[in-house]
Amino acid sequence: MNLTELLDAAALRFPTKAAVIDGATVVTYANLVARTHELANPTIRAGQRIGISLPNSADYIAATYAVWRAGAIAVPVPVECSAEERSHIITSLGLAGIITPTGFEKFSGVPVADNHNLNIAFIRFTSGTTNTSKGVVVTHETIRDRITAANKALAITAADTIVWILPMAHHFLVTIVLYLSQGATIVLVHSPLARNILEAVQRTGATILYAAPMHYAWLARDKSELSLATIRLAISTTCALTQDVAETFEKRYRLPLRQALGIIELGLVCLNTDGPWNSVGKPLPDYRVKIEDGDLYISGPGFYDAYANPWTPRQDEWFHTGDIAKLDEAGRVYLLSRKTAVINMAGRKVFPEEIEAVLLQHPAVQDCRVYGRAHPHLGELIEADVVPGQTGADPEQLRDHCRQHLAAYKVPTDIHLVPAVARTAVTGKLIRHG
Amino acid sequence: MVNPTDLETQLLAFLKREVFSAQLDVTADTDLVAAGFDSLSLVRLLVFIEKNHGLWIPESEITPETLQSVRTLAARVAALLNGQ
Repeated sequence: MNLTELLDAAALRFPTKAAVIDGATVVTYANLVARTHELANPTIRAGQRIGISLPNSADYIAATYAVWRAGAIAVPVPVECSAEERSHIITSLGLAGIITPTGFEKFSGVPVADNHNLNIAFIRFTSGTTNTSKGVVVTHETIRDRITAANKALAITAADTIVWILPMAHHFLVTIVLYLSQGATIVLVHSPLARNILEAVQRTGATILYAAPMHYAWLARDKSELSLATIRLAISTTCALTQDVAETFEKRYRLPLRQALGIIELGLVCLNTDGPWNSVGKPLPDYRVKIEDGDLYISGPGFYDAYANPWTPRQDEWFHTGDIAKLDEAGRVYLLSRKTAVINMAGRKVFPEEIEAVLLQHPAVQDCRVYGRAHPHLGELIEADVVPGQTGADPEQLRDHCRQHLAAYKVPTDIHLVPAVARTAVTGKLIRHG
Repeated sequence: MVNPTDLETQLLAFLKREVFSAQLDVTADTDLVAAGFDSLSLVRLLVFIEKNHGLWIPESEITPETLQSVRTLAARVAALLNGQ
């Protein structure tokens, strides 16, 4: 199957209905399908991997479906990537071209990537460019299974209007693809400001809000008279809510915030529909969870098909999430902490190894350790301990160096010069905890 | 007392250096949201102000009026820092 069939079917049912609203521009389902044909560059061949590097827009969506229509594979290349990060995605996944705001750029001399006879729709890096980051491969069928499973809890229909704030390069499958398969309307909001989000809800009668805790923190403290009266589901994702935000938001809008657990390898696996604010809820009907030695494992439909680089097919029935979790008597999941060193900065996951590799390229850095420092409003901030070489090091110069090589949000907030960083005696590996 | 003009210069330099692309001609009167100021830009701005001035701007102050431009932002942050 091909996911364009779901969009085309929705367009046959709702040709004149708004698929995407972006300010004063309304893109109907018929318009959106027409745009997928316009953007289908004739040089794109089935099986090719094609980068999508566009800001949130109806064209981001149309470009992705245009790639699928050609039987090719969509690879998000976030616009905030540094030139180096972008180049890494292009070369490591063997992209045959990239769609940018200026059009389609075809790459020559790229060896044809081996797709292992899979009907691949999408490959996305978990984050970053180090060997800890993995290109997650999912087929059209896998994505269909994910959205079918997710909709047993979300119950999205053509009557729904979703206010969309998060970056499409990071959130697309169990969101945008699901909404469009059901004939729902997506309202793009480019401003992060609470007032603008509220105005969009008011203007469009939106029913679903899908955002990160920081958006809800700003919404919770809004002082206007605007309401969220039409919203039936406000989902908080990407990082943990705080009690203050959950309670203030509910009091302000008389609407509970619902935490969800979405995992790039699995899709949407848990949604809190009835539990306390700090739970991510029960597993969706098609998923099972188990806790072993404190670790959370999940099993269900829509599992990723492989990791791309190096190619590693999925093997286990249970996915080890890397979260330390507990269950309550009703089977609700509570995330307690993470086992990995990944830093969650306002919902963006960052691998410290990636930043360490960049710092170590600088001649003034002898050794370093990057870590997350807890922040009351943002989850974590990125910080680095640097052991300078003999000639010393200037933290601001090191931040400039990071800025040249990394997406801006990965640049450490603070760089501390230290005499040594802790490494294990035997292997020399960094000691990351304690 | 924090001088709003000095703060404006500092915030503009930060945004030009760390948030907006070098191709954009950002001035103290540029409409920030229209220029592409997004959630992560806002987060980085808040962290910069916290790191340099010890003030976490209250969520209730994150309004279109405050963030209309660097000039309005600097005026509001200076007022908060000066206890007004």
